[in-house]
Amino acid sequence: MIKILAASVIGAALAGGLTFGITTWSTNASADAEPVNESLYNYGDR
Amino acid sequence: MAAVGGEAGSGAAGRGAALRRWGVRLVPALVSVALGVLALGPVLGPGFALRYDMVFVPDPPLSAASLGGGSGFARAVPSDAVVAALATVLPADAVQAIALLSVFVVGGTGAARLVPGGGWAPRSAAAVLYVWNPFVAERLLLGQWAMLLGYAGLPWVLAAVVRLGRARGVPRLVVALIPAAVGGFSSVVLSALVAGPAAVVRRGAGRLRALGWTVCALVLVSLPWLIPSLSSGARTDPAAVELFAARADGPFGAAGSLLVLGGVWNAQAVPEWYGVPVFAACRVVLAVAAVAGWVWLARGGVRSAPVFWPGLSVAAALGLGVALLGTVEPGRELLRALIGWWPGFGPLRDGQLFVAPLALLQAAGLGGAVAWVLRSVRRGAGGTAHGGAGAPGEPLSSSKAESGTAPPFGSSGVWTALRLGGGRASGAAVATGAVAVAVLLLAPVALLPGLAWGAAGRLAPVDYPSEWRAVRNLVDGDPRPGALVSLPWSAYRGLDWGGGGRTVVVLDPAVKSFDRRVVWNDDLRVAVGGRVRTVDGEDPLARAVAPAVAGGWPLRADPSAARRLGAAGVRYVLVDRAAARAALGADGPGTPGASPGTSSDASGGAGGGTGGAAGDADKNTFFISRGDAQVVHKGARFVLLRLPDDHVQARVERLSGLEVTGWFVTVVAILWSMVVSGSNLVPVRPVRSTGMGTWKENRK
Repeated sequence: MIKILAASVIGAALAGGLTFGITTWSTNASADAEPVNESLYNYGDR
Repeated sequence: MAAVGGEAGSGAAGRGAALRRWGVRLVPALVSVALGVLALGPVLGPGFALRYDMVFVPDPPLSAASLGGGSGFARAVPSDAVVAALATVLPADAVQAIALLSVFVVGGTGAARLVPGGGWAPRSAAAVLYVWNPFVAERLLLGQWAMLLGYAGLPWVLAAVVRLGRARGVPRLVVALIPAAVGGFSSVVLSALVAGPAAVVRRGAGRLRALGWTVCALVLVSLPWLIPSLSSGARTDPAAVELFAARADGPFGAAGSLLVLGGVWNAQAVPEWYGVPVFAACRVVLAVAAVAGWVWLARGGVRSAPVFWPGLSVAAALGLGVALLGTVEPGRELLRALIGWWPGFGPLRDGQLFVAPLALLQAAGLGGAVAWVLRSVRRGAGGTAHGGAGAPGEPLSSSKAESGTAPPFGSSGVWTALRLGGGRASGAAVATGAVAVAVLLLAPVALLPGLAWGAAGRLAPVDYPSEWRAVRNLVDGDPRPGALVSLPWSAYRGLDWGGGGRTVVVLDPAVKSFDRRVVWNDDLRVAVGGRVRTVDGEDPLARAVAPAVAGGWPLRADPSAARRLGAAGVRYVLVDRAAARAALGADGPGTPGASPGTSSDASGGAGGGTGGAAGDADKNTFFISRGDAQVVHKGARFVLLRLPDDHVQARVERLSGLEVTGWFVTVVAILWSMVVSGSNLVPVRPVRSTGMGTWKENRK
């Protein structure tokens, strides 16, 4: 059981850290990328 | 000594078995929590994450409107009321965090317990895929948190339906429907899509009775929104069918998008990096693997076929069929005809919504795929199957296959698989199995990184400006009845409250902020191929007010506007100055009318267009003479006007006796069901039954 929990914690930490790192980097790199309609805002764009 | 040693050994074995049982329960739950934290990230901190339909406000009012007392379709009932009630004891932003995290925890744990075999790895795989897939990501980005609550409850509903006919089956079904009850309309529709087929195709006698109880339970939890909606006079625009139909959001067409649980109509709700070809291709492979795993489970791959497999298969096929209807013209024609015939068919227009049962099927199927890998590794290594027996939460397996195929590494999961060698398995087989299981477990997350950490930053908490609270205090401090009109006459706002130059499109927060009726333009604007199309709204009062706030173009004073608004029951007019300026700047000549009190006769102005298309501008202008309204607030962001008493023919918003009765019946029924069922959700440890091919209660 200890091995299971240890493996889970380590795996979760690795996956989380990696994902966080990638997304943080990418988010910062595309901070102004979200498109917004100019004046009135649509419910969405198909 | 031998006896003592034997007792010690059996004690250790007992403790080990108990630990494994806890592990089987606990690991998927921990995985679900971890995924929730990973997905929501900053949203769990202070502040409000606002995006499209997701609007949480500080100190939300528990008003007649939030309880269903207004006109129009009660889409936000009872979710708004539940949030308001919880916000009386918790900060509203904490309520939002809890609601969103609940989606992951309730959904993940529910999906996990549907996987036969009892191993933590297969169950965790099901949990991962059910809460981390394109459907969840896209609906979250669309802000449909209440619907996602119902989605999270689907596995619990499915489990409860197949138990109908047993002791306390009905109250347990009602308890399982609590997430859908909170979520409201769309949530109940999804629950019905899963529960109906599960009741109809269940084994043994009592199908009709089970279906009857299922319908009764669904109606019972729907009364708070069903009663006001039936009497609202709301309509549904058939033209929305084309706009809200599922679409291709990947390289494999609409059908391929739906197969991988994507295909949301709104291109702005597609997660970051979703279209990367490698990810898209791998998602198809994952979906196929999950469906294959489901087929394997249904054929009794893990000891016995899940008793719910026929029902879930039918529900998934039905849902996929509905979703596909909107992707072809004959299907759209059919949907338009249905909606034109009865507005109650309106939900069918949002096709992708109905792949939710397919998500549940694929989640359970991925669990099956993991179980298959584990078993294959063991067999390849020449070991004997073991495990399964006594696994907690032994899922909904039919008993006919009791002596069927040997169980996989049920209660011990991956670690047992790795250990299964026990000297027997080859190192290569173990390594291959471990890698395959790890890949299946992590693939949903790895292939959808855009959901992580607030959907890659798209869900970021913001604080409401102090001016917002000041305006609200002014309005709420006025005991005189009368509605508030929110301008510009457009449903969505572009808020930049988070700073950093980022604007988030969100439903006008005024809609949920005041303890009186708020009238807003519930027409929905959708851009298609660079052209904006409008879906007519559902609120009759909004339609009545629209002519008074949609003056001519160019701007001109309308001496009758205040009187017409007052006659419609309006007392306040709230103008979002930033939105008005932006709209007028884009569509009109300067900013006349946008600075209330500063021009000679203009008290408020709001305008709008289509991002340069002046043709629609006349639908979003408002001009009122200073003498017809008092400016009670004028700030950098907002202007608040109050119409004189002699204009206002206010109607006090109250719940009807029938609506109060509906609320009473639903709340009492849920409380009673929770007490009778002995749990806050359906039991986790059903015991296999030898009767009816299902299972029996473990609690009497």
